[in-house]
Amino acid sequence: MKLAVLFSGGKDSYLALQYASVDHKISCLLTLESEKEDSWMFHTPAIEWTKLQAKAMKIDHLISKTSGVKEEELDDLGSIIESSISKYSIEGIVTGALASVYQSTRIQKICNDLGLWCFNPLWQMPQKQLLQELLSNKVESIITGIAAEPFDDTWLGRCIDSECVDDLMSLESRYRINPAGEGGEIESFVLNAPLFHKSVRIIESKKYYSNFSGRLEIKKALLI
Amino acid sequence: MTILIISTCSEKLSEREFVTPISKIVGAANQKILHYTECTEQNIFEFEKILICGTSLQDNSYQKDIDKFKMILTNFEKPILGICSGMQILCTIFGDKIIKNLEIGMVDIETLEKNSLCKGNFQAYSIHNNSVGNLVHFTILAQSETSIQVIKHKTKNIFGVSFHPEVRNESIIENFLSI
Repeated sequence: MKLAVLFSGGKDSYLALQYASVDHKISCLLTLESEKEDSWMFHTPAIEWTKLQAKAMKIDHLISKTSGVKEEELDDLGSIIESSISKYSIEGIVTGALASVYQSTRIQKICNDLGLWCFNPLWQMPQKQLLQELLSNKVESIITGIAAEPFDDTWLGRCIDSECVDDLMSLESRYRINPAGEGGEIESFVLNAPLFHKSVRIIESKKYYSNFSGRLEIKKALLI
Repeated sequence: MTILIISTCSEKLSEREFVTPISKIVGAANQKILHYTECTEQNIFEFEKILICGTSLQDNSYQKDIDKFKMILTNFEKPILGICSGMQILCTIFGDKIIKNLEIGMVDIETLEKNSLCKGNFQAYSIHNNSVGNLVHFTILAQSETSIQVIKHKTKNIFGVSFHPEVRNESIIENFLSI
Protein backbone atom coordinates (compact mmCIF):
# COMPACT_ATOMS: atom_id res chain seq x y z
CA MET A 1 0.00 0.00 0.00
CA LYS A 2 1.26 3.53 -0.77
CA LEU A 3 1.13 5.61 2.38
CA ALA A 4 1.72 9.20 3.51
CA VAL A 5 2.93 9.87 7.05
CA LEU A 6 1.77 12.88 9.07
CA PHE A 7 5.24 13.93 10.11
CA SER A 8 6.06 16.48 12.80
CA GLY A 9 9.74 15.61 13.08
CA GLY A 10 9.25 14.30 16.61
CA LYS A 11 9.82 10.86 18.09
CA ASP A 12 6.21 9.62 17.78
CA SER A 13 5.67 10.37 14.12
CA TYR A 14 9.12 8.99 13.31
CA LEU A 15 8.45 5.72 15.16
CA ALA A 16 5.06 5.37 13.43
CA LEU A 17 6.82 5.94 10.09
CA GLN A 18 9.41 3.27 10.87
CA TYR A 19 6.75 0.69 11.79
CA ALA A 20 4.70 1.49 8.69
CA SER A 21 7.71 1.23 6.41
CA VAL A 22 8.16 -2.47 7.23
CA ASP A 23 5.33 -3.65 4.97
CA HIS A 24 4.39 -0.54 3.02
CA LYS A 25 5.78 2.02 0.60
CA ILE A 26 6.08 5.43 2.24
CA SER A 27 5.33 7.74 -0.68
CA CYS A 28 5.69 11.02 1.18
CA LEU A 29 5.78 12.84 4.49
CA LEU A 30 3.13 15.47 5.21
CA THR A 31 3.89 18.37 7.53
CA LEU A 32 1.69 21.24 8.60
CA GLU A 33 3.53 24.26 9.93
CA SER A 34 1.23 25.90 12.44
CA GLU A 35 1.27 29.66 12.84
CA LYS A 36 0.19 29.20 16.47
CA GLU A 37 2.62 27.71 18.97
CA ASP A 38 -0.18 25.99 20.90
CA SER A 39 -1.81 24.21 17.98
CA TRP A 40 -4.60 21.76 18.91
CA MET A 41 -3.46 19.24 16.37
CA PHE A 42 0.12 19.77 15.34
CA HIS A 43 3.42 19.65 17.18
CA THR A 44 5.26 22.93 16.50
CA PRO A 45 8.89 23.39 17.70
CA ALA A 46 11.51 22.99 14.97
CA ILE A 47 8.81 22.03 12.45
CA GLU A 48 10.56 23.90 9.62
CA TRP A 49 13.51 21.52 9.98
CA THR A 50 11.40 18.50 9.00
CA LYS A 51 12.56 19.20 5.42
CA LEU A 52 16.09 18.29 6.48
CA GLN A 53 14.85 15.07 8.09
CA ALA A 54 12.91 14.17 4.93
CA LYS A 55 16.08 14.74 2.90
CA ALA A 56 18.03 12.56 5.35
CA MET A 57 15.50 9.76 4.80
CA LYS A 58 15.24 10.38 1.04
CA ILE A 59 11.46 10.58 1.26
CA ASP A 60 9.41 13.18 -0.61
CA HIS A 61 7.93 15.84 1.62
CA LEU A 62 4.88 18.08 1.33
CA ILE A 63 4.78 20.96 3.79
CA SER A 64 2.18 23.71 4.10
CA LYS A 65 1.14 26.41 6.53
CA THR A 66 -1.89 26.24 8.78
CA SER A 67 -3.51 28.98 10.84
CA GLY A 68 -3.42 26.81 13.94
CA VAL A 69 -6.97 27.88 14.74
CA LYS A 70 -8.95 24.98 16.22
CA GLU A 71 -10.99 23.11 13.58
CA GLU A 72 -9.73 25.46 10.77
CA GLU A 73 -6.47 23.56 10.80
CA LEU A 74 -8.44 20.43 9.93
CA ASP A 75 -9.32 21.98 6.55
CA ASP A 76 -5.61 22.57 5.99
CA LEU A 77 -4.90 18.96 6.95
CA GLY A 78 -7.56 17.77 4.49
CA SER A 79 -6.00 19.91 1.75
CA ILE A 80 -2.48 18.58 2.20
CA ILE A 81 -3.80 15.00 2.28
CA GLU A 82 -5.70 15.65 -0.95
CA SER A 83 -2.48 16.97 -2.49
CA SER A 84 -0.73 13.73 -1.58
CA ILE A 85 -3.53 11.73 -3.22
CA SER A 86 -3.17 13.76 -6.44
CA LYS A 87 0.59 13.62 -6.48
CA TYR A 88 1.36 10.15 -5.15
CA SER A 89 -1.94 8.21 -5.36
CA ILE A 90 -1.61 7.33 -1.69
CA GLU A 91 -4.06 4.81 -0.24
CA GLY A 92 -3.60 5.57 3.44
CA ILE A 93 -2.30 7.87 6.15
CA VAL A 94 -0.04 6.99 9.07
CA THR A 95 -0.09 9.02 12.28
CA GLY A 96 1.86 8.96 15.53
CA ALA A 97 -1.34 9.33 17.58
CA LEU A 98 -0.89 7.66 20.94
CA ALA A 99 -3.91 8.37 23.12
CA SER A 100 -5.56 11.59 21.96
CA VAL A 101 -9.15 10.79 21.00
CA TYR A 102 -9.45 14.42 19.80
CA GLN A 103 -6.64 14.00 17.24
CA SER A 104 -7.51 10.46 16.28
CA THR A 105 -11.21 11.14 15.72
CA ARG A 106 -10.55 14.07 13.45
CA ILE A 107 -7.94 12.32 11.34
CA GLN A 108 -10.11 9.19 11.07
CA LYS A 109 -13.00 11.34 9.79
CA ILE A 110 -10.84 13.06 7.16
CA CYS A 111 -9.44 9.72 5.98
CA ASN A 112 -12.88 8.14 5.88
CA ASP A 113 -14.28 11.03 3.83
CA LEU A 114 -11.41 10.63 1.35
CA GLY A 115 -11.67 6.82 1.27
CA LEU A 116 -8.20 6.40 2.78
CA TRP A 117 -6.93 3.85 5.27
CA CYS A 118 -5.76 5.33 8.56
CA PHE A 119 -2.97 3.63 10.51
CA ASN A 120 -2.08 4.58 14.07
CA PRO A 121 0.64 2.08 15.01
CA LEU A 122 1.39 3.66 18.40
CA TRP A 123 -2.27 3.77 19.46
CA GLN A 124 -2.71 3.06 23.20
CA MET A 125 0.97 2.18 23.59
CA PRO A 126 2.05 2.71 27.22
CA GLN A 127 4.35 5.74 27.37
CA LYS A 128 7.11 3.84 29.14
CA GLN A 129 7.10 1.28 26.33
CA LEU A 130 7.22 4.04 23.72
CA LEU A 131 10.32 5.52 25.33
CA GLN A 132 11.93 2.09 25.55
CA GLU A 133 11.15 1.38 21.90
CA LEU A 134 12.90 4.60 20.92
CA LEU A 135 15.99 3.39 22.74
CA SER A 136 15.85 -0.17 21.41
CA ASN A 137 15.36 1.17 17.85
CA LYS A 138 18.34 3.51 18.30
CA VAL A 139 16.27 6.61 17.56
CA GLU A 140 18.37 9.64 18.50
CA SER A 141 16.12 12.52 19.45
CA ILE A 142 16.31 15.67 21.54
CA ILE A 143 13.81 17.66 23.57
CA THR A 144 12.79 20.84 21.71
CA GLY A 145 9.81 21.91 23.79
CA ILE A 146 8.77 21.74 27.45
CA ALA A 147 5.52 22.78 29.11
CA ALA A 148 5.15 21.44 32.63
CA GLU A 149 6.57 21.63 36.11
CA PRO A 150 9.38 20.74 37.00
CA PHE A 151 11.10 21.14 33.63
CA ASP A 152 13.81 23.81 33.62
CA ASP A 153 15.86 25.06 30.69
CA THR A 154 18.45 22.27 31.07
CA TRP A 155 15.88 19.93 29.50
CA LEU A 156 15.89 21.90 26.24
CA GLY A 157 18.22 20.22 23.77
CA ARG A 158 18.66 17.21 26.03
CA CYS A 159 19.17 13.92 24.21
CA ILE A 160 16.42 11.34 24.93
CA ASP A 161 18.84 8.60 26.00
CA SER A 162 18.45 5.96 28.68
CA GLU A 163 19.38 8.39 31.46
CA CYS A 164 16.82 10.89 30.20
CA VAL A 165 14.16 8.17 29.98
CA ASP A 166 14.89 7.17 33.59
CA ASP A 167 14.55 10.80 34.66
CA LEU A 168 11.26 11.21 32.76
CA MET A 169 9.90 8.03 34.34
CA SER A 170 10.83 9.23 37.81
CA LEU A 171 8.93 12.49 37.20
CA GLU A 172 5.76 10.60 36.30
CA SER A 173 4.85 9.67 39.85
CA ARG A 174 6.10 12.88 41.50
CA TYR A 175 4.61 15.43 39.11
CA ARG A 176 2.01 13.37 37.25
CA ILE A 177 3.53 14.20 33.91
CA ASN A 178 3.14 11.90 30.92
CA PRO A 179 6.72 10.63 30.57
CA ALA A 180 6.58 10.50 26.76
CA GLY A 181 4.94 13.93 26.64
CA GLU A 182 1.53 12.82 25.42
CA GLY A 183 -0.07 15.73 27.29
CA GLY A 184 2.23 18.23 25.54
CA GLU A 185 4.74 18.22 28.42
CA ILE A 186 7.64 17.65 26.05
CA GLU A 187 8.16 17.97 22.30
CA SER A 188 11.00 16.26 20.50
CA PHE A 189 13.01 16.30 17.28
CA VAL A 190 14.70 13.27 15.72
CA LEU A 191 18.34 13.74 14.70
CA ASN A 192 19.19 10.24 13.55
CA ALA A 193 17.42 6.89 13.28
CA PRO A 194 17.47 3.65 11.29
CA LEU A 195 15.66 5.18 8.27
CA PHE A 196 18.07 8.14 8.12
CA HIS A 197 20.83 7.93 5.49
CA LYS A 198 22.51 10.95 7.08
CA SER A 199 22.09 12.43 10.52
CA VAL A 200 21.00 15.95 11.40
CA ARG A 201 23.61 18.02 13.22
CA ILE A 202 22.45 21.19 14.95
CA ILE A 203 25.05 23.89 14.44
CA GLU A 204 23.31 26.77 16.17
CA SER A 205 20.28 26.97 18.42
CA LYS A 206 18.71 29.23 21.00
CA LYS A 207 16.68 28.45 24.12
CA TYR A 208 13.56 30.38 25.06
CA TYR A 209 12.39 29.60 28.59
CA SER A 210 10.07 31.03 31.20
CA ASN A 211 8.22 29.49 34.12
CA PHE A 212 8.41 25.76 33.21
CA SER A 213 7.71 26.45 29.56
CA GLY A 214 10.22 26.74 26.77
CA ARG A 215 11.38 25.78 23.31
CA LEU A 216 14.63 25.21 21.52
CA GLU A 217 14.82 27.16 18.29
CA ILE A 218 17.11 25.54 15.76
CA LYS A 219 18.85 28.34 13.87
CA LYS A 220 21.25 26.32 11.77
CA ALA A 221 21.48 22.60 11.07
CA LEU A 222 22.95 20.37 8.39
CA LEU A 223 23.17 16.75 7.32
CA ILE A 224 26.37 14.81 7.93
CA MET B 1 -6.99 -20.05 31.81
CA THR B 2 -5.88 -19.29 28.26
CA ILE B 3 -7.56 -16.64 26.16
CA LEU B 4 -7.57 -16.67 22.37
CA ILE B 5 -7.37 -13.24 20.77
CA ILE B 6 -8.46 -13.34 17.14
CA SER B 7 -7.32 -10.65 14.71
CA THR B 8 -9.66 -9.60 11.91
CA CYS B 9 -7.15 -7.16 10.39
CA SER B 10 -6.26 -7.73 6.75
CA GLU B 11 -3.24 -5.42 7.18
CA LYS B 12 -0.62 -6.46 9.72
CA LEU B 13 0.06 -2.78 10.53
CA SER B 14 -3.51 -2.39 11.83
CA GLU B 15 -2.88 -5.06 14.48
CA ARG B 16 -0.73 -2.59 16.43
CA GLU B 17 -3.87 -0.46 16.77
CA PHE B 18 -6.64 -3.02 17.17
CA VAL B 19 -5.04 -6.16 18.63
CA THR B 20 -1.99 -5.09 20.67
CA PRO B 21 -3.95 -2.84 23.08
CA ILE B 22 -6.34 -5.71 23.83
CA SER B 23 -3.47 -8.12 24.27
CA LYS B 24 -1.99 -5.74 26.87
CA ILE B 25 -5.24 -5.68 28.85
CA VAL B 26 -5.54 -9.47 28.78
CA GLY B 27 -1.93 -9.89 29.95
CA ALA B 28 0.85 -11.73 28.16
CA ALA B 29 0.97 -14.80 30.40
CA ASN B 30 -2.35 -16.34 29.47
CA GLN B 31 -3.11 -15.56 25.87
CA LYS B 32 -2.49 -16.52 22.29
CA ILE B 33 -3.04 -14.28 19.27
CA LEU B 34 -4.12 -15.82 15.96
CA HIS B 35 -5.31 -14.22 12.76
CA TYR B 36 -8.72 -15.66 11.85
CA THR B 37 -7.25 -17.33 8.79
CA GLU B 38 -5.04 -19.39 11.15
CA CYS B 39 -7.98 -20.62 13.26
CA THR B 40 -9.68 -23.98 12.90
CA GLU B 41 -12.55 -25.55 14.78
CA GLN B 42 -9.96 -27.88 16.34
CA ASN B 43 -7.23 -25.43 17.36
CA ILE B 44 -9.59 -23.03 19.14
CA PHE B 45 -11.10 -25.69 21.41
CA GLU B 46 -8.27 -25.61 23.96
CA PHE B 47 -9.08 -21.98 24.85
CA GLU B 48 -11.34 -20.92 27.71
CA LYS B 49 -12.52 -17.68 26.13
CA ILE B 50 -12.25 -15.92 22.79
CA LEU B 51 -11.92 -12.20 22.03
CA ILE B 52 -12.46 -11.16 18.40
CA CYS B 53 -10.85 -7.77 17.75
CA GLY B 54 -11.95 -4.94 15.51
CA THR B 55 -10.15 -3.54 12.50
CA SER B 56 -9.64 -0.38 10.47
CA LEU B 57 -12.57 1.65 9.09
CA GLN B 58 -11.65 0.80 5.50
CA ASP B 59 -11.14 -2.90 6.20
CA ASN B 60 -14.17 -4.97 5.24
CA SER B 61 -12.36 -8.11 4.12
CA TYR B 62 -13.68 -10.10 7.11
CA GLN B 63 -17.16 -9.81 5.62
CA LYS B 64 -16.09 -12.09 2.76
CA ASP B 65 -15.12 -14.84 5.20
CA ILE B 66 -18.29 -15.22 7.25
CA ASP B 67 -18.54 -18.90 6.25
CA LYS B 68 -15.05 -19.45 7.65
CA PHE B 69 -16.05 -17.84 10.96
CA LYS B 70 -19.23 -19.90 11.02
CA MET B 71 -17.23 -23.09 10.60
CA ILE B 72 -14.74 -22.14 13.31
CA LEU B 73 -17.02 -20.69 15.98
CA THR B 74 -20.46 -22.32 15.74
CA ASN B 75 -19.62 -25.22 18.06
CA PHE B 76 -17.49 -23.24 20.53
CA GLU B 77 -19.60 -23.28 23.72
CA LYS B 78 -17.41 -21.09 25.95
CA PRO B 79 -17.62 -17.27 26.28
CA ILE B 80 -16.84 -15.09 23.24
CA LEU B 81 -16.60 -11.30 23.04
CA GLY B 82 -16.67 -9.67 19.62
CA ILE B 83 -15.43 -6.10 19.35
CA CYS B 84 -16.70 -3.90 16.49
CA SER B 85 -16.11 -6.06 13.39
CA GLY B 86 -15.99 -8.99 15.84
CA MET B 87 -19.53 -8.18 16.95
CA GLN B 88 -20.70 -7.96 13.34
CA ILE B 89 -19.14 -11.36 12.63
CA LEU B 90 -20.86 -12.98 15.64
CA CYS B 91 -24.26 -11.60 14.64
CA THR B 92 -23.85 -12.69 11.05
CA ILE B 93 -22.88 -16.27 11.82
CA PHE B 94 -26.09 -16.67 13.82
CA GLY B 95 -28.19 -15.18 11.01
CA ASP B 96 -28.49 -11.51 11.98
CA LYS B 97 -27.52 -8.73 9.58
CA ILE B 98 -24.75 -6.14 9.20
CA ILE B 99 -26.11 -2.65 8.44
CA LYS B 100 -24.44 0.62 7.39
CA ASN B 101 -23.83 2.79 10.44
CA LEU B 102 -21.11 5.43 10.72
CA GLU B 103 -19.78 6.43 14.13
CA ILE B 104 -16.37 8.06 14.65
CA GLY B 105 -15.44 9.43 18.06
CA MET B 106 -16.87 9.38 21.55
CA VAL B 107 -20.51 8.29 21.86
CA ASP B 108 -22.89 8.38 24.81
CA ILE B 109 -24.18 4.94 25.73
CA GLU B 110 -27.06 3.90 27.94
CA THR B 111 -27.25 0.48 29.54
CA LEU B 112 -30.71 -0.99 29.04
CA GLU B 113 -30.46 -4.27 30.89
CA LYS B 114 -28.40 -5.55 33.82
CA ASN B 115 -25.45 -7.49 32.47
CA SER B 116 -21.91 -8.73 33.15
CA LEU B 117 -20.05 -6.22 31.00
CA CYS B 118 -21.31 -2.68 31.66
CA LYS B 119 -23.69 -0.63 33.77
CA GLY B 120 -25.25 2.84 33.81
CA ASN B 121 -24.51 5.56 31.29
CA PHE B 122 -21.00 5.87 29.92
CA GLN B 123 -18.98 7.24 27.01
CA ALA B 124 -17.09 5.04 24.58
CA TYR B 125 -14.81 5.39 21.57
CA SER B 126 -16.34 4.21 18.31
CA ILE B 127 -14.94 3.94 14.81
CA HIS B 128 -17.07 1.94 12.45
CA ASN B 129 -18.84 2.19 9.12
CA ASN B 130 -21.07 -0.78 9.89
CA SER B 131 -23.03 -2.12 12.81
CA VAL B 132 -25.87 -4.58 13.35
CA GLY B 133 -29.63 -4.11 13.34
CA ASN B 134 -33.01 -5.87 13.65
CA LEU B 135 -31.50 -8.52 15.90
CA VAL B 136 -33.34 -11.81 16.24
CA HIS B 137 -30.76 -13.98 18.00
CA PHE B 138 -29.24 -11.37 20.33
CA THR B 139 -30.54 -9.17 23.16
CA ILE B 140 -29.57 -5.47 23.20
CA LEU B 141 -27.87 -4.66 26.51
CA ALA B 142 -26.82 -1.08 25.75
CA GLN B 143 -27.28 1.44 22.95
CA SER B 144 -26.35 4.93 21.78
CA GLU B 145 -28.69 7.38 20.10
CA THR B 146 -27.90 5.99 16.67
CA SER B 147 -26.87 2.37 17.13
CA ILE B 148 -26.79 -0.86 19.07
CA GLN B 149 -23.71 -0.91 21.33
CA VAL B 150 -23.66 -4.00 23.56
CA ILE B 151 -25.41 -7.31 22.86
CA LYS B 152 -25.62 -10.85 24.21
CA HIS B 153 -26.73 -13.99 22.46
CA LYS B 154 -30.12 -15.11 23.78
CA THR B 155 -28.92 -18.54 24.95
CA LYS B 156 -25.10 -18.53 24.83
CA ASN B 157 -22.36 -16.57 26.62
CA ILE B 158 -21.58 -14.70 23.42
CA PHE B 159 -21.24 -10.92 23.69
CA GLY B 160 -20.60 -8.09 21.27
CA VAL B 161 -19.63 -4.45 21.67
CA SER B 162 -19.79 -2.02 18.77
CA PHE B 163 -17.28 0.43 20.29
CA HIS B 164 -13.63 -0.10 21.24
CA PRO B 165 -13.43 -0.90 24.96
CA GLU B 166 -9.62 -0.93 24.81
CA VAL B 167 -9.92 2.87 24.68
CA ARG B 168 -11.19 4.30 27.99
CA ASN B 169 -13.35 1.26 28.85
CA GLU B 170 -10.81 -1.40 29.73
CA SER B 171 -13.10 -2.62 32.54
CA ILE B 172 -15.46 -4.10 29.94
CA ILE B 173 -12.71 -6.45 28.76
CA GLU B 174 -11.76 -7.20 32.37
CA ASN B 175 -15.41 -7.95 33.17
CA PHE B 176 -15.60 -10.32 30.22
CA LEU B 177 -12.45 -12.11 31.42
CA SER B 178 -14.10 -12.57 34.84
CA ILE B 179 -17.22 -14.31 33.46
